[in-house]
Parts: sequence; C-alpha cells; structure tokens
Amino acid sequence: MKKSELYGRQLCLTPREAATLPADVQKITGIQVSGTRIQCMRCGEFLNPREAQLPNNQYYCYACLNLGRNSTLTSLYHIPEPNDFPQRPTCSWQGQLTVQQRTCAQRVRENFEHRHRHLLWAVTGAGKTEMLFPGLTWALQRGLRCALASPRVDVCLELAPRLQAAFVDAEIALLHGRNPAPYRYCQLTICTTHQLLRFRHAFDVLIIDEVDAFPFAANPRLYYAVNQAVKPHGALLYLTATPSQELLRQVRRGDLEISYLPLRFHQHLLPMIKVTLQPHWWQVIKRGQLPNRLRRQLARYQQTQQRFLLFVPQVAQLAAVQAAIQRALPALRGLTVHATDPDRLAKVQQMRDQRVQFLITTTILERGVTFPGIDVIVLGADDPLFSTAALVQIAGRVGRSRERPTGLVWFLAASHARTIKRAQRQIRLVNRKGRRLRDAMPVVSTIDSK
Amino acid sequence: MQCLLCQRLIQSKFSLPWLLSWRPFTRPVVCAVCWQRFKRIERRTACPGCGRDQTVPRLCPDCQRWPAERPFHNVALFTYNDAMRAYFQQYKFHGDYRLRRVFEGTMQTALHQLNGDLVLIIPVTPSTLLSRGFNQVSGWLSDGLNQPRGLQTLAREKGVPQSKKVRQDRLRTPQPFMLALAAEQIQGKRVVVIDDIYTTGRTIRHAADLLLESGAKSVTGLTLAR
Ligand SMILES: [Zn+2]
Ligand SMILES: [Zn+2]
Ligand SMILES: [Zn+2]
Repeated sequence: MKKSELYGRQLCLTPREAATLPADVQKITGIQVSGTRIQCMRCGEFLNPREAQLPNNQYYCYACLNLGRNSTLTSLYHIPEPNDFPQRPTCSWQGQLTVQQRTCAQRVRENFEHRHRHLLWAVTGAGKTEMLFPGLTWALQRGLRCALASPRVDVCLELAPRLQAAFVDAEIALLHGRNPAPYRYCQLTICTTHQLLRFRHAFDVLIIDEVDAFPFAANPRLYYAVNQAVKPHGALLYLTATPSQELLRQVRRGDLEISYLPLRFHQHLLPMIKVTLQPHWWQVIKRGQLPNRLRRQLARYQQTQQRFLLFVPQVAQLAAVQAAIQRALPALRGLTVHATDPDRLAKVQQMRDQRVQFLITTTILERGVTFPGIDVIVLGADDPLFSTAALVQIAGRVGRSRERPTGLVWFLAASHARTIKRAQRQIRLVNRKGRRLRDAMPVVSTIDSK
Repeated sequence: MQCLLCQRLIQSKFSLPWLLSWRPFTRPVVCAVCWQRFKRIERRTACPGCGRDQTVPRLCPDCQRWPAERPFHNVALFTYNDAMRAYFQQYKFHGDYRLRRVFEGTMQTALHQLNGDLVLIIPVTPSTLLSRGFNQVSGWLSDGLNQPRGLQTLAREKGVPQSKKVRQDRLRTPQPFMLALAAEQIQGKRVVVIDDIYTTGRTIRHAADLLLESGAKSVTGLTLAR
C-alpha cells in the first residue's frame, strides 16, 4: 500500500494486513467499548450489544458494514493530511455568472477563506455548480484539499465530468460504492457522503451537495461523517434547494451561516403547487379508469403535445397507471421507469430525445434529471413516501428553461398533508425573497445576464 | 422489526390459529418477500445421496461416482440459488453475524429431527476464525456462544479455500481433518456432521470417511444448501 493512500484517511485493517504499513502510521481504536456503551468510531453509530456481538466478547459494526467490516478484531489506520499537492490547478471554465450568482459565488469564496460553516439555499435550477468555481479555484491554487460529496451517486456521476472540464489540470478522484477503480490520493475528491466515512480530517474545503437528499436527512451518521472528514478548522458548505428542519435548526443555533439564491438563472420565480383533493384516485385507476379531472388534463396534453412527468408513490402502481392511460387515451405515448429498472437510463434517454411524450415514475427522477419545458403531475402527493424535500424537488422539475420558465405543477392528493403544506410554504418563502431581490435589481441585468 | 436482508419493516400478523395454539410468538427476522426467494428442498424427492433437489428420489449423476456402500448420505435444506449466494456473501464474506438468525430455526429443527448420537461441525481454519470472528455453522446452532456444547472441532490443515477451487481440484483434495475425539466417543454412534454448503461433497465426505474408519455406525451430513 502506498503511503499517500493513508493521507487523511482511516482505513479498517486486520493486524496482519497492517503489518506492512510504514512506521509513522497512527492506529485508532475502531470500536469503543466502555461498559454497555459500544460505539463505532468510523461511523459514530452507538451499537446495540445484542446485534453487534461476535463470539468471545468481540463486536462489529453492522451500520457501516458495506465499507468493510469494522470490528474489535480490526483497527483504523491513519496518516495526518500533509497537503502534498505539487500542482496548482487553474480554472478553465469560460461561462458567465448572473449578477446574483456572482454575489453568491463571492460569498462562497469568502466562507472558504475564513473557514466558515455555511448553508447555501439555492432554488432548483439556480446553477449551483458554477457558483462553486471561483471558491474552488481559490482553494486549489493554495494547495488546499477539497471534496464535493453528495448522498446520491447520480449527482456525483453528473458532477465529475463537469468539474473535470472546469479544472482540466486537476487530479480528481471519483469515489462511490459501485466504482471498482482503486483509491487515488487527489487534491479534489468527488464522492458519496457514505464514502466520507473512510476519511479523517482530510479536507480544508468540504462541500455537501443536495444535502437534503435521502438518505442523508434521515441519517445523523452522515453528519458524523462530515465532521470527521473535514479538518477541525476546515470550511464546510452545504448546498440545498430544500433545507431540512435539522439544518435550519443549526442555522438558528448559529452553528451555520445561511445565504439564499432565490432566483433561477432566468430570473423567474418557482411555479407554485396546485393541489386538488382526489381521495379515491387509486381505486379508480385500479378499476382501469382515470379520475375525470386527470383524464381531461391528459386529453389536453394529447392535443397540445405538451410533455410531462407523472409521479406515483409506489413502483407497484406504475403498471396500473400506465394501463389506465393507454385505455383512455391510446394515442398518448409514454413509458414507466423506476429506480431499479434495468432500462432506466435508456428510457430517460428516450424522454430526453422527445421520442415519448411522458414518463410515469416514482421519486427517482425528482433530482438531477432535467427535461426542458415539462409539466408535472403527482398522484397521491400526500403519501408518506413523498417527503417535503422530494415534493419541492419534483415541483422544481418545472420551468427550468428560458423558453418556458413556467408550467403546471399539479398534486392530486387524498388530504392536505403536512408534507404538502410545508413544500408550498418553502416555495412561497423563496419566491418572496426572489421577488424582493428582483425588485431591487436594475432592470437591464435581469434580462441580459446569463 | 426490520427484515435482516432487505431492511424493510416486517408487519407481524397475529393470526387466529396462532392465537388459539398458545404457542410462544417468535418474531420473524426476514420478510415474506425475502424468505420466498430461498428454495426449500423437498426431502421425499431429493437425491438420497447428496440431498439435491430433484423430482424423483434417484441417485444423481454426481453421487453415482462416489462409492455407494458407505453408510453416508447428506440432507440439504435449500437449493443454492441467487438468494442463497447473496446470503452467504453477506453472512460469511462480509461477516454480518446477525444473519445467523435467518436460518437458526430451520437448521436447529432439522438437526433435532435427524436425532443423531453425536453432532460435529466442519471447522474453519484458525486464520479464518481469527479474521471472521465466527464459524458460520456454529452461528446457526449456538446463538452467539462460541462453540455449541457437546461439539468438538476438528483441526484442519491450511491451504487454498474450497471456494477458490474448481471441481477437479476439490475432488483431489487430501484428507484435511483429524479427530480430536476418543474412539469410544465415536464407536457405534450415529453421527451428524454439519457444513454450510454441499458443493462437490468432498469436504463433508472426508469428515465422514474419518468417522466411519473410527467405527461410527453411520454418518449423516446436514448442509444448509446444495
Ligand atoms: Zn460503523
Ligand atoms: Zn426482506
Ligand atoms: Zn446426489
């Protein structure tokens, strides 16, 4: 094993595997056992002794098992981050930022410089990635170690080529569970938040993108990972379009600073959510029919050729919805797709290529995927499977293009669930901020900037 | 309670027959969906030699190549399919010891039905035991205790793990076991030997040979999968 592979890392090894490591490697207890309290020092989980036990009073962590088993039979091995980066990468991105993007980018850079902890609440479609470039350029130029992490693999996969294109001469490591390539020590790392558990005080600058995405929000373990992976005096930036209650609490406590980017790159406000109560939509569809209002709307789409996404709570409902639409409106051409669909990428591509007019899907398409100029309908929007963050993200699929900056966001629900109300409130809040910002701006820049 | 295999919540239903039976309620550890992926072997029609799943109880081609006169046969509980492969990946190779509970009940019931005089388990090498921290077969039998009572491990020589070998190599493997038992503990006994998977049968038949040479009356293999 190369020494650099341990820089700023904490690798879980058996005594035999560790025998060949260089002498200055630090050995850290992997599982802390004190009385009945058993804690995994890699992921922070407090373990249930009954679940974590191995024979002979040994214990293992079941919570971070898929990173290789951390147990009392192993230890964590670490070399403090030396920032051994001879190169000084430059930014080759040629694009232009809007006035607000520039203000935000400036703010991001200042937060990096002062090593602050900062939450950037930017609406869906604000162009977050580009706003990071000035700050990242500053950090890379100074030999700082940087990472961009997201709870979702697809976000990482989408970001990697964009960042490589912007920083052509930077060495970038892309780490996620499905990447078989061996680890490399690089100045810039793009990884899933789960992979952060393998780092220890590594990053001077750590950015967490889509911090609200499942499973991060439900997972205090990953806040532990973030705090472990960033240097004790490092800069931390959370990016989100839908901050969780927990993050907003951290802001109120003063642990996090906050800044807003409430306007999209085309300066339009977010489309508001329209809700229609339809308590028995599923029973109707199970009978092979469409609820009247839905059928009328889809008939309009058949005439206008307007493209749309139709969300349902569960994968098992996709086929029935598809069948009911086929029966009522045979001329409409669409596909169903879900997270574990083997043809997922091909189907999304067909929608991109405009070979189909619509997709019926579960929550998987709520983030990252952009189809310009679409409408969105959510069936059963009050279902607990749709979190507030998911609903805001789904609504955020609409109005993403300059050509059609608005559109329909229509929820059919059995009740006005709290998740729906919260989503509406979040959108109202950023729109209020956006309106104020737009009113304060000179008219010229609102139209010409991009 | 979460399913040990897919982490989905398991809804425990209290059925009327169960309520009337007054039996204690044992919580399921895996959900119905995951459980259905495992394929139970019907013993009445399985191969009488190795326990493989068949439609008629006839000696399978593999078993016809073994000497037939030995008083040995194997009982296998499940077919080694994709679900079983995934299970062993997580349990043995990733070391998720909690998963012992998935087959604890099935295994113990089967062992009880075989009703042997002496029960032995196929051991793992000391170095495997050190890194894995458990013997996968003991896990099903002893609920976290290191070794089940009344069981003796056999010492096994080091070498290439069975899972890394092709069939021909496996069949040529020399006797890897020795007995750590006195002769009178074996003589005239009906012995049950337990292993995790019956693949070529070489491993468990080595153990059986040793026991039969030492005077065991019969040897029955019990494996979770075939
Ligand atoms: Zn852990
Ligand atoms: Zn399950
Ligand atoms: Zn057979």
